Amino acid sequence: MSTDPKLHRRSAEEILADEFLQARSRILDLAAFLDRLERAPGSAEQEARMRLLAEGLEILCDDEVGKAQRVQLLMSRDYDPAWQTKYGIH
Amino acid sequence: MEYIDPHIHMVSRTTDDYETLARMGCVAMSEPAFWAGFDRGSVESFRDYFRQLTQFEPKRAAQFGIKHYTWLCINAKEAENVSLSREVIAMIPEFLSAPNVLGIGEIGLNKNTKNESTIFLEHVDLAVKYNQQILIHTPHLEDKYQGTRMILDMLMGDSRIDRSRVLVDHVEEHTIQAVLENGFWAGMTLYPVTKCTPQRAADMIERYGPERLMANSAGDWGPSKPTAIPDLIMELKRRGHSRELIRRVVYDNPVAFFSQSRQFLPLENS
Repeated sequence: MSTDPKLHRRSAEEILADEFLQARSRILDLAAFLDRLERAPGSAEQEARMRLLAEGLEILCDDEVGKAQRVQLLMSRDYDPAWQTKYGIH
Repeated sequence: MEYIDPHIHMVSRTTDDYETLARMGCVAMSEPAFWAGFDRGSVESFRDYFRQLTQFEPKRAAQFGIKHYTWLCINAKEAENVSLSREVIAMIPEFLSAPNVLGIGEIGLNKNTKNESTIFLEHVDLAVKYNQQILIHTPHLEDKYQGTRMILDMLMGDSRIDRSRVLVDHVEEHTIQAVLENGFWAGMTLYPVTKCTPQRAADMIERYGPERLMANSAGDWGPSKPTAIPDLIMELKRRGHSRELIRRVVYDNPVAFFSQSRQFLPLENS
């Protein structure tokens, strides 16, 4: 992990100013997607993918760091360190 | 700015794309062997494909002043057919002395199965036997984390592997750290739908630094953008990063990695 100040050129205030409109647009995309689901016939509420999306949204709103990495791991299959033994591969 | 695309599937692209890439500053590229969108039926199909990669594409690229390199293998999707995979692996040495072949790739996993793992290890063995560099495909979406860890297990379990001669591609936020910390090169694949955006790639450069890190466009037959590296260059410029840092990721690092192959020649006018 780099702490090189040359790699961090912008302050938080500058990043917010630069990218607020893009972030706003993406939240609106997500909101519209949820509205689309709500309006459609049928229900996806019990689908595992809906639970993943809900948990992903919780990550966005919590106070922990590494949000992109944590959302990726949430959406990932588990890794079993003993996989080679199970496959008979060494 | 001149740049190198270390992972782009030009067999999927038009000649117009070569011209556009040249106009955007692309001076060299490497094209790993991959899935054609359908499973091929015989070893002869692969022999023809390898002729395309080693004879036809370098000429097409040269028309626009672009140096074309390639990597050979049977990809992970078709590795489920173990007998065909072994026929292809046995045929690959016929092409290893072609002047644009950098090594074995893109080998890896797709659905993380036993057959894929078996053929991955046999490709690694081929690379070691012929002293070839390796370019690795990691799975997409929900399979990526598991598959990347499995690939690293296999590579790190083989003491013959020189990690500085292995590029692990398609890294994202949850896989990049393990790849870099264990001494491998890492490639970020910029893609408009899945994989990584230029903005997220710029974030990873800021977070992990430029050492042993590259970016590529994939530029395949799916929804992809062959000019994605210029998009990353623009994003890094927009954030105020130095020309030196940008050049390191998009030019110097590919040159440093490729130079470990005896087939890679210094680029002119750089």
